[in-house]
Amino acid sequence: MILATLLLAQTTNLTWYLLPLAMVVSLVYSASRFELPDRILRRAIWLFIQIIGFMAVVFGILWVLSYGI
Amino acid sequence: MPTVPPAVRRKPWEERSVVVALLLAVLVPGLGHLFQGRILKAGIYFFGILGLFVWGVKLGEGVVVYNLPERGASRRITLHYAAQLGAGAIAYPALWQQKRLLREDNRTVRQLDQPLTAQFSGRLTSVDNDTPGDKLEGTVSFTPESGEYGTETKGNFTGTLNGKPVELKLAGGFYLDKPVGAGFRRSLKCGVVGDDDSGPGSRMIVGSIPRPIIDGYGVPPDLEQLQEITGRLGKLHELALVFTWIAGLLNVLAIWDCVQGPAYGFGDESWYVPNAEENPDSTKLPKSPPVNNPATSV
Repeated sequence: MILATLLLAQTTNLTWYLLPLAMVVSLVYSASRFELPDRILRRAIWLFIQIIGFMAVVFGILWVLSYGI
Repeated sequence: MPTVPPAVRRKPWEERSVVVALLLAVLVPGLGHLFQGRILKAGIYFFGILGLFVWGVKLGEGVVVYNLPERGASRRITLHYAAQLGAGAIAYPALWQQKRLLREDNRTVRQLDQPLTAQFSGRLTSVDNDTPGDKLEGTVSFTPESGEYGTETKGNFTGTLNGKPVELKLAGGFYLDKPVGAGFRRSLKCGVVGDDDSGPGSRMIVGSIPRPIIDGYGVPPDLEQLQEITGRLGKLHELALVFTWIAGLLNVLAIWDCVQGPAYGFGDESWYVPNAEENPDSTKLPKSPPVNNPATSV
C-alpha cells in the first residue's frame, strides 16, 4: 500500500512537468505560425488547452481501463 | 466581414541578411530574430527553447547531452544527439568532450598531488556490507602527506551526519573520479580513520564533490554511470532527455520562421476579403492568404 502510494505520488509529480512543457511547445509553435503578438498569444493559449485536454482524455481512458488492476 | 485591408506591413525577415540571420538562429535560439528586430519572438524562442533545454540538463544532473554512437555503427551522430543539436551551440560541446574524456591524462585519482577542498555530499558506509549508510553533508579537505610507505592522501570531513554535526578523519582507500567525466558531480571515496587513530577503520565515505561545468557538460557517460543515474533518477532522467530533444526540435521551427517568416502569415489576413470591384477574382482567393500577399506586406 505504502509502495503504491509512493509510486502514485512520484507519477503525479512527474505529470506536473507536462504543464510547462505544453506551455513552451504551444508558445513556440504559435510564434512560428504567426507574427502578430496578440494572435500568437491567443493561438498559444488555445493550443495549450487542446494539448492538456487531449492528455487529460487519454489519462481518463487509461485510468478507466486500468481500474481494479 | 471587414473589407478594409490590414495595414501594410514590413517583413523584417527580408530586410536584413538571411544568411547571417540563419547562422545566428542556428547557433542560439532567438538570436536570428533579435538580429531582424523581432524582439518578442526572440524572447519567446530564447527563453522557451533554451529554458527547456537547460531545465532538461539540470533535471538529468548533466548526464543528458552527449553523443555516444555504438561501436562499429555507421552513424557517427546518434539520433539522440541529432535532436539535441537542433538547440544550437549549447549542444556543441558534446562534439569535442569525448576527445577530452579519452585523453591519457584523464585518469581516476588514487593519490593527490596537491591539496583539495570541496563540498561533499554522500554517505558514511560500512566497508563490509552494501547498506546505503547515513547521510553526510559538508566539506572535505585532503592533502598529500609523506608517510611510511611514500606519499599518502589524508584529510578530514567537517559537516553533518544525518543532520548532526560531525568531524571525521580520512585516510586510505582514496578514490576520486576522472577530472573530465559525465555529469556535474565527481565520485569520491575514502576510508575513515578508526577511533584510536591507528589507521583506516571499517567505515568509509562514499559520495561526490562538484565537477566544473566545463569538465562535466557534454561528456558521454560510461555504462556504469548511465545505469547509476537511470537507476537513481528513474523516469526523471528520461523526462530530462525528452526536454532537450523537444527543445532541439522546436528550434527547427524557429529557424524556419527566421528565414521564411511565419508559416500562416501575420495572423489577421482572414479578416480581410477583397470586394468584387477591387479584385474580380476575389472568390478564388484563399481564406487565409499566404504571408507574401501584397495586401499585407510592402
